Amino acid sequence: MSAMRIAFVGKGGAGKSAIAGTFARTLARQGAPVLAVDSDPLPGLAFSLGLAIEDTPPIPDDAVRERREGEKGPRWRLRDDIDPLDAVDRWSVAAPDGVRFLQFGNIRGSGNNLWKPQMAFLQVVRALPPHRWNVVGDLPGGTRQAFTGWGHFADLIVVVVEPTAKSLLSGRRLARMAHTRDEGPAPRVVAVASKVREPADAEAVGRGTGLAVVGSVPWDEDLAEAERRALAPLDHAPQCPAVRAVESLVDVLCEERVA
Amino acid sequence: MKLAVVGKGGAGKTTTSSVVARRLARQGLPVVALDCDSNPNLGISLGVGDEETERLVSMRQALDDGREEHAPTWDTLLSRYGSDGPDGVRLAVVARIDNPDPG
Repeated sequence: MSAMRIAFVGKGGAGKSAIAGTFARTLARQGAPVLAVDSDPLPGLAFSLGLAIEDTPPIPDDAVRERREGEKGPRWRLRDDIDPLDAVDRWSVAAPDGVRFLQFGNIRGSGNNLWKPQMAFLQVVRALPPHRWNVVGDLPGGTRQAFTGWGHFADLIVVVVEPTAKSLLSGRRLARMAHTRDEGPAPRVVAVASKVREPADAEAVGRGTGLAVVGSVPWDEDLAEAERRALAPLDHAPQCPAVRAVESLVDVLCEERVA
Repeated sequence: MKLAVVGKGGAGKTTTSSVVARRLARQGLPVVALDCDSNPNLGISLGVGDEETERLVSMRQALDDGREEHAPTWDTLLSRYGSDGPDGVRLAVVARIDNPDPG
């Protein structure tokens, strides 16, 4: 069985990072090799994994080279002498539960040259052999990146949707755009209902987005408190209902994969 | 007055913008609300509804697809691509949804 490649998308503030970080650690606890990837220029995944933001070093500019004349594809790419698996070993950092964390949305990097390492690292993730790493990605909020280069690595796109009009509209747009990916086969797109207060909320997410709802994460004060304190939900309140819901989501998606 | 509202996703930009816009309009000022978000939702918070919000987004999209002409002036832009919302706020969608990535 090939590894899981999953991208969490959705409107800003829907809970992508908290869910993605908890998802990655839960998967790793089951013994799977997990690479957590944050491509958001406003990094949030590190906190949700339980890393301080200072723990994530910027990627050096000299790891990247420009496209040569006559070459096709993206303008910035990883240097030829750097293997994608080695790149992960060199520039990812260790997170709790054995997760490796790779950040290419780092806004503290070198000003105008930020795109270089970001684009090269997108290609690293896409070029990884399918069996070595399970990839769990936290994509920037909104509708822009899910089906362009940022989301190419994923074969499963999970849209995180709150039961609010704006979040539902964003989810509907993402569902509509799923088949417009500019290369490769269309990914599977599903929804996770977030900040759910009553059963009707998850139903509203299914109806409003037209997507299958594979998980439902309840509104949870403990999760909100973890966010306020910049702590991983799994460290702050490992038994809280929201964490339990993400653990169930891991089980559901793993079982589906086996089936 | 020219006001831009920025911040992290989910912080309340759209809600804040819509309340400020309608409050100013209620005081009798002519107000234009510009949705510059690549995931434009301002119409929902202003109260023009899902359908009208999506109609404005699809008009903006039509520009990129070459199905619509660019507006030569600011006034034309607002009359052609805008919509009248509650309290007389004029809403226009400026951003498009599916930007290709750079590089």
